[in-house]
Amino acid sequence: MMKNNNLSVLLKGLIKENPVFVLILGTCPTLATTTNVTGAFGMGIAALVVLVCSNILISLLRKIIPDSVRIPCYIVVIAGFVTIVQMVVHAFFPSLYDMLGVYLPLITVNCIILGRAEMFASKNTVGKSALDGIGMGLGFTLALLAMSTIREVFGAASFAGVAIPFLEPYKIEFLTKAPGGMLVFGCMIALVYIITKGKAPKKTSFSCAACPNAANCLTGCSDAPDAETEKGDA
Amino acid sequence: MKKSVLSTLTLVGICAVMAILLALTNFITAPIIKQNQEAAANKALLEVMPNGEKFEKVEFDAETLPKTVTEVYKEKNGGYVITLTTTGYNSGLVIMCGINADGTVSGAVCLASQETLGKEKTYGDEFVGKKSAEVDATDTISGATKTTTAYRNAIKDAINASIILGGGTVDIRSEEEILLDNLLAALPAGEGKFTNLFIAEVISGIDAVYTADNGTGSVYVIGDEFYGVPTGGTSDNENVAAAHAVLSASTVEDIDLSAFEGLPKRLVSAKVTATGNYILEVEGAGFGIMNDEEYIHSSGEYIIVRVSITPDGKIIDTLTVYQAESEGIGDACAKESFYGQFDGKTEETYKDIDAISGATYTTNGYLKAIENAFAALKVLKGGNE
Repeated sequence: MMKNNNLSVLLKGLIKENPVFVLILGTCPTLATTTNVTGAFGMGIAALVVLVCSNILISLLRKIIPDSVRIPCYIVVIAGFVTIVQMVVHAFFPSLYDMLGVYLPLITVNCIILGRAEMFASKNTVGKSALDGIGMGLGFTLALLAMSTIREVFGAASFAGVAIPFLEPYKIEFLTKAPGGMLVFGCMIALVYIITKGKAPKKTSFSCAACPNAANCLTGCSDAPDAETEKGDA
Repeated sequence: MKKSVLSTLTLVGICAVMAILLALTNFITAPIIKQNQEAAANKALLEVMPNGEKFEKVEFDAETLPKTVTEVYKEKNGGYVITLTTTGYNSGLVIMCGINADGTVSGAVCLASQETLGKEKTYGDEFVGKKSAEVDATDTISGATKTTTAYRNAIKDAINASIILGGGTVDIRSEEEILLDNLLAALPAGEGKFTNLFIAEVISGIDAVYTADNGTGSVYVIGDEFYGVPTGGTSDNENVAAAHAVLSASTVEDIDLSAFEGLPKRLVSAKVTATGNYILEVEGAGFGIMNDEEYIHSSGEYIIVRVSITPDGKIIDTLTVYQAESEGIGDACAKESFYGQFDGKTEETYKDIDAISGATYTTNGYLKAIENAFAALKVLKGGNE
């Protein structure tokens, strides 16, 4: 039973609670880095590493961190790991570093990471938090890969920088631009909604109680009217 | 109160832990990042100096180096990588050139150019291993005289710059600047403007004569020596004194061309000196008139050549009075290095000169003008007899 539970923690990030297409988190890097597969993959893995590390550390410290300063603590931890990843990428993968540019340090403010720290790691054991980090990280990576494959193959007639000659005359350059990214993003959200048959988690599933504004919230989170998921992005 | 202190301490603690982690990572990655960045920056430099080790940018005083030099890197073993911006067929010809410590070229690449043929991109390979004196002996880019010349001069500038940077001295003045400096040294009253005097008298042992535009005197050139003679004065040098006496006494008289029949059509004017030498001005059909009367090209203007000839048919002096040939190619006919070749030549030998490279029409037109001068000489002499 326990094993099943762990598996579901790991797998839920892939589709059911996919951070990009279901939770609609991390939209900015999703749109910005999915113009080519290589950059998207690098971005996904970098975010995964930060997510796993920060989830583990925050879960470890969840009993030490006082509630009142938890957000600054999370930010410090996340920013620290992002900077570490940034330095490692800069040292060992300079071309990826150049490709990701400003989006690498911006992982710090990627809502997926802060969101998982707040929603999951601060309430669960280290093991589960690590699995959640891996699952969500993979979900993010897969989402980026799906988006970037569509955008690069049909928009630039290449895959991971390797040209696909027979698509060359038919490429839709619009897809490589920001509006094209939005279009693909919307279609993917619709597709995932169909796959999950609209059973995406309700807003209530996300620790609304932990929201600093919960007490002041006029509409009241618990009786949110529809399946709208928590929106937020940096 | 106690709670807030605890919160603060926790946050500080977490910050401290993360700072230590960051410091550790930085300790490992910083040298690798630095190495990567240096390698990237050196990649272009290594292309022109494959054996170079460590490059360091050098700040330099632009006054002391040739004007084309824009950037200098010093290599660990005493070599230099120098970036030069010059003008070939078009401006913006940027060349990066590596000079070894022994003054030979280690490599040269063209970083940017707007030349017409595009062959300058690989031309730099010609210069590998060459010394300054060997630069002009390299193969030219065929059909691109200007690019070739600019490229060669840039390479020479780079070698000169490396010598200067290495503490040596090189004369980076242009030929004109050197000449002017020498003239001024010989005749300070000349105040910076001299004209090459057109000589119509036979004077021996003198290579050139310049007169100051402000009339303060003349400078006589014998080899590398410059002798100033103020107006009304004389010189200690025998040859100079003799030549000065001859030139000062020289008088000329116009010849009425209408009194002669059978003169070449292109003879503009003729004068004769008291000593019987002729000063003839002749038009030559250069690139401006391609094929003389049949076809008028571009400027449609003749080259006007002034030539002084002794009665027995020996050229004393030649001067290009006017020309509108192609800039940078045919206009070389206005340079002393070209027309000076005719001095001392006769009707039999005048064709024995170095042509202007890339300007066949100009050269042929010029030779035709000289030919006409000799033809005119015969008619004029005949009339005198």
